[in-house]
This record gives sequence, structure tokens and C-alpha cells, in this order.
Amino acid sequence: MNSAVSIRHLTKDFSVGIRGVKLRAVDDVSLEIPRGEVFGLLGPNGCGKSTTLKIALGLVRATSGSTSILGDDAASAQARRRTGFLPEAPYFHRFLTGRELVTYCARLSGVKESDLEAAVARALDLAAMSAAADRAVGTYSKGMLQRIGLAQAVVHDPELIILDEPTAGVDPVGSAAIGEMIKTMRGQGRTIVLCSHLLGQVEQVCDRIAIMDRGKVVLQGAVDEVLSRRDRHLLEVSGLTPEAEAAARRALESAGAVINSVSRPRKSLEDLFRELVTGSKDA
Amino acid sequence: MGGRWLFSLGAGLLIAAGSATDRSWASLRPCIPELSRSQLEPSAGQGVLLGVLGGLRTVIADVSWLRSYVLWERKEEAGCEALMRLSCTLDPNSRYFWEQAAFAVGFDMANWEIRRRGGYARLAKEIQDHLFTSYARKGILILEDGAKFSRSRAPFLIVAGQLAEMKIKDLRLAASYYRAAAESPDAPWYAARFAARTAWQAGDRKESYAWFRQHWTTTLRVRQEDRSPDDLAELRMMEDALFMPTSARIPRQAWER
Amino acid sequence: MDSLRRTYWIARVTFLEAVRQRLFSFLLLLGAALAGSSVAFRFLNFGQGELKFVADFGFGIMFLFGSLLAVVMTAQLLFAELDNRTALTLLAKPVGRSEFLLGKFLGVWAVLGVFIALLCGVLGAVLLARASEVAALAEAAGRVPPQVDAGGLAVFALLQWLRLGLVAALTLLVAAGSRTFLFSVVAGMLVTLGGQLQWLAQDLLNKGDAGLMQKSLAWFATRAVPNLQQYNIGDALVLDPAGVPEGAAAAALLSGTLHLLALLAIACGIFRRREI
Repeated sequence: MNSAVSIRHLTKDFSVGIRGVKLRAVDDVSLEIPRGEVFGLLGPNGCGKSTTLKIALGLVRATSGSTSILGDDAASAQARRRTGFLPEAPYFHRFLTGRELVTYCARLSGVKESDLEAAVARALDLAAMSAAADRAVGTYSKGMLQRIGLAQAVVHDPELIILDEPTAGVDPVGSAAIGEMIKTMRGQGRTIVLCSHLLGQVEQVCDRIAIMDRGKVVLQGAVDEVLSRRDRHLLEVSGLTPEAEAAARRALESAGAVINSVSRPRKSLEDLFRELVTGSKDA
Repeated sequence: MGGRWLFSLGAGLLIAAGSATDRSWASLRPCIPELSRSQLEPSAGQGVLLGVLGGLRTVIADVSWLRSYVLWERKEEAGCEALMRLSCTLDPNSRYFWEQAAFAVGFDMANWEIRRRGGYARLAKEIQDHLFTSYARKGILILEDGAKFSRSRAPFLIVAGQLAEMKIKDLRLAASYYRAAAESPDAPWYAARFAARTAWQAGDRKESYAWFRQHWTTTLRVRQEDRSPDDLAELRMMEDALFMPTSARIPRQAWER
Repeated sequence: MDSLRRTYWIARVTFLEAVRQRLFSFLLLLGAALAGSSVAFRFLNFGQGELKFVADFGFGIMFLFGSLLAVVMTAQLLFAELDNRTALTLLAKPVGRSEFLLGKFLGVWAVLGVFIALLCGVLGAVLLARASEVAALAEAAGRVPPQVDAGGLAVFALLQWLRLGLVAALTLLVAAGSRTFLFSVVAGMLVTLGGQLQWLAQDLLNKGDAGLMQKSLAWFATRAVPNLQQYNIGDALVLDPAGVPEGAAAAALLSGTLHLLALLAIACGIFRRREI
């Protein structure tokens, strides 16, 4: 079994109101998420991606269809033992310290007492939270909450990690840091499912994506495959003089190519921000 | 996600719990005299109140009693009696509430009613007597209810005797209450003398002497350390009044002066 | 074994969260202050012996505040987890729904145990101190001195803990299926009231002249709702232990425990079907 997550013909109807009018949140969705990849699940609010994730985590029952995680039924404890989850805008017990929270989650995830200390230290390290681990969660900034959430999701060394909007409300520096963590986890061979509104980040870190709209998957595939335009090419040139540009145009046109536009490449605002701002300690 | 077995387990446990509660409640119910059915029958609201209040019943009973004082001063009969009865219901182990409620109903309320109807000078004597009698009987009923909750019946019987003697003017009835009080294990020292004297005044002189003599011989002389010389003196007066020959009298006691 | 371990850790964190709540501190301090100062309210007392008044006042405070705490805290701690999505984080781990719910219950019950133990401790100290003063006066007057039974107080504390556990379990059963905190609190209070009045159905069941329909309804009511009134024997246990039939307290403990287990099983069944 090569799929980390296999969703087949998944449908979910919710009853709304006293009369129980059916509202279809997920409509015949099928997804195969290969192991070892970062998979982006995209879509507007209310498109059904969170419901799909909840079904995959066994938190909500499907009306029809099947979902398996790493070969096990999604609702089984065995599947959840091998899965880590960071919910959107996570809220944790404010009185616990970061270390206590991650230790608590490790215990619930079945980490042995003998391995506990090392596992917690490793997760805190991965999330870059070791320095703030002994502060109460109530004192954390939003970025730190996301990172401690990430630490609790990975503390039991899961094969599959599901991240629901991990960068929501986090500044670009913190968001980039989380992006780096995702890349690190991919480097460790884990499968990551990422739900995000930050399309730029998804484009950077994801290997494959699926886009959902009104409960249906409207597009899925490898990022390079779905974004590249096979009929167009981009040449990036340094030291281009007006004479050289004219010569190049002539050579390309004589070979039958059509030049659609010539412009100067721009760096993104996010890249500029990250170059100028190194980030506060809390970010 | 199913968990149908949990519902089955829950239902089974509920049935077992219900049977266990039937047994435990049967043994514990007498420990909670406040929940007396006869007290609650006149008012379902009181049953609700009792259930809601839990352990605060004594406190609410006291507050209710304080409130009844205000109405007693204003001579508002219905409200005063209702609040006094509420105090008795909430805290039935309290002798004070029963006794004072009986006093208020049996001794005071007839006077309030007479005043309300125009006063002693205007209201016919027969009606006044009827009012005194009916209120005193209500007072006696309160005492009889209260006596059921108390381990010590004698004080209730003494007050009932007083109501019968002073308000109903039925000396035989009064004597029967005093006698029952005297025969109770916790009888006060004066109960037997009250019983004998009232029956004597009612005209049952021989019966009164016979009972008093028997009671003094079997109970008072034996139970009390000083052998009740005052009661013996009362008996001697009775013997004199009945012109009894020496041989029929109580033999002279060695300690008797 | 792993299941017990997870339940224990959820209960432990729930306990730590609960004891930090202002409502707990407020009701505990107010309850302890009222129980401790109940001697000062004895001027209100008309009918009973002074110790009975002090005991009844303390027991009443314990039940009133304890029930409030049990209902509000149970609903609040469950809905805090659901509304803040911590439940999502926990239930996405290999934590069973029943483990989660039982952990929540045990955490709340442990807090209620602390509440009862502290209040009983304060009340016991007040009763014992006052009893020795009253006893000296009674002996001087040639009357039988009143007794305070410390063992009876311990049994009463256990019964109260069970009673508040039943209140918490009733609330949890409602909250497991309801959508809002407010509904859970209101419904929790109403079922607690039902438990306080269950004895009316219990008496109806034993009444000889009741009809078949009445008896059937009473039978269902006495099975569905626990009898909370049977734990209201504090004054008898503490001031007159001879008046409590032998084995009666143990019978109440048994019936309460069975009801508690039944309510928890049904609450778990409901929660397992809930969509988080």
C-alpha cells in the first residue's frame, strides 16, 4: 500500500434545522495521497476540506464512502496512533507549560515513559520551541501557539501529519519558519497533508495539491504539472543590453518563436519582508 | 462510533440501580422525618420545597418562623398559621415549633377572631365559647401531629391538656392528656399531680385517687429518689376528703413526717 | 492498561484546569466561610439543638454550592474543550471517546472531592469545638451532653461526594449530546432538581392504592433518575448515628454507585455518536 491516505467516493451530509434538511458538505470525493509527499488541500471557506480532514481523523462519520489511513480504517485507534494533527487556530490549556503540554500529548499518543523525555525534546527542537518550553502556554504568541501545536502533533513520531491552516494569523517570518519545518519533516520521510489559504506557501512546499469547491474536488495533481504552461518558456538573463535584446528578438523570431512580453522579474513582497525583518524572538 | 452495547449496559445498570434504591430508600426514609406524607398531603408545593431545599431546611424553617412572628404581631391568622405550619413541616423534630404553633393557634387565634367579629362585649357568649373550643381543638391536632416526630411525647401531651382544661373546659379530656403524659417514660414530675387533680375536679374523685395511688406506688415512689413526698401529701389530702379508714389508706411510710 | 493511563492523564489535566477556575475558588471560600461561621448564625435558631442547626446549615451549604459547582463545572469543562477545539487535538490521538469523557468526569469528581473534604473538615472542626463547649454546659446542668460522631461525618462526606458525582454524571449525560453550554447547565440543574424530588415517585411506587399506570410511571422514574434525597441524612449520621439503621448508608452507596455507572455508560454511548 503506497497511499498514506486513501479516500474513496466520500460523501457527507449534515442535517440542518429542526426539519433536518440535508446539506451536502462533501460530495463524492476521491483522493489518493502518496507516502512521503507534502499534499496541499486547497479551497475557499466552506468547500468541505475541514470536513474531509475530520472524517479522515475519525472525528466525523461519513454518510457514504471509505477512508483509510496508512492502510487502516480511518476511525481506528491504530490509524490515529500513526497520525499527528494540528487543528486550525489551536487552543491549548493555558496553565500548562509548553513542555507539559507536549508531554501530556505524548502520553495520550502512547509514547512509552522511558522514551518520553527524548521524544518531547526532539519535538520541541523541531518546532524551535525549546527555549520557550518552560513558559506557560497562556503567555505564547500566535506563532508560538502554532509551533507548540506542531510539536504536540509530531511528538509521537507519526508517519502522517495533518496540518489545518498552520500559518493562519502568523506573520510572514513565522509562516516561513513553519514552511521550513514542513520541509524538514518531509526530509524525514513523513507524509504531510496541508490545508492552507496561503497559496504561495502551498506552491513552495507542496508536491501535490487538490482544489475543492462546493464539496467536490475540482483539480488534483503534482504542483509542477498543474501550474506549468507547456506552451510557454521563461528565460532569465543578466547584463542584457538594448543591442543584445534586439539581437535575441531577431534570432528567436527568425526561428519561429513568438515573444509575448519582455519584463524585469520582481521579487515577491513576502521575500522582501523576510529580507528586511529578521523576526522577533516570539515569531 | 457505534456504542450500542454502552446503552444496553447503561439500561441494565439503571434497572439494578433502581432495585437497589428501592431497598436503600426503605431503610433510610425514616431518618428523614421531614418527608412525611401526612404533612405533605395538604400541599404539593411543600413537597417540592422540601426536595429543593435539601440540608437547608432547618435554616428556612427558622426564617419562616421569624416571618410568622411578624404576622402574629399583626394578628394575621391565615398567614401566621401557614408559616408556622411550614416551619413545623420543614423541621418536624423541633418541639419548639409544634408547641408554639399550638399555643398561637389554640390560645391566641380565637381572641383575634372574636375581636375581628366585633369584640367580647358584642359577640354572643356561645359563639365565643365555640370559637375558643374549635381553635383549641386545632391546637391539639397540631400537638398530636408533632408528638409523632418526637421521642419525648410528654411535653406535647401536657400542652394538649392545658388547652383542653383552659379553653375547651373539658376537664376529663384534660385529665386524660395529663395522665398519658404522666405514664410516658419522660414524664415531668408534676404530670401525675395535674392528672389526678384535674380528674378530681371533674368529679371522678374515687377513680382519680385510685389511679394516683397506683401510679405513686408503682412509678413515682420507685422512680424518684425522694419518693415524691409532695405527691404523697396530695394523696393524703384525697384520703381525708374521701373519709377513708386507716386500713384502706396507703400505709404510713417510715420517712413520712 | 493504556486506556486507564490515558483516562488518568485526561482526568489529571481536567482537575488542574478545574481547580484554577474562579468559580471553584469562590464557592469553596464562600462555603468554607459560611460553614465556619455557622455558629455565629445560631441566633436564628429556634427549634433545634444548636449543633443540629450548625450541622444542617453546613450540610445545606455543601449541597447547594456543591451542586452548582458540579453542574456548571462539568458543562463548562466539556464545552471548553469542544469550543476551543482542544477536543479535536485530543480525539485525533489514539484516545477513545469514552476515555475522554470519563477523564473529564473523573477530573471534575476529584475537584468535588476536594470541595467536600475541605468543607466537611471545616464543619467537623466547628461542630467538635462547639460540642465540647455545649457538653460542658449540659453536664453542669445535669443534662445528657450532645455527641458529634467523626466517623459519621466521614460516611456523610463519602455520601455527599457520591451525590455530587451523580449530579455531575447527570449533567455530563446532557452535555454529551447537547450543542450549547447554557442548555447543558439549565438541563443539568433541572435533572438535579428531578433527583431531589425522585423520592415522590419512590413513595408512589410503594403506595398500596396507586394505579397500574401511576406505578409504571413511578417505576420508570425511579430507574431513570437517581434518588438524591437519600443522601440527606447528615444530621442523623453525625449527631445521632444510632438512629441510622445498620447497613443503610452502605445500601445508599451501592445504589448510587450503580446509578453513577449507568449514567456514565449512557453518556459515553451518546458522546461516541457525537460529531466533533
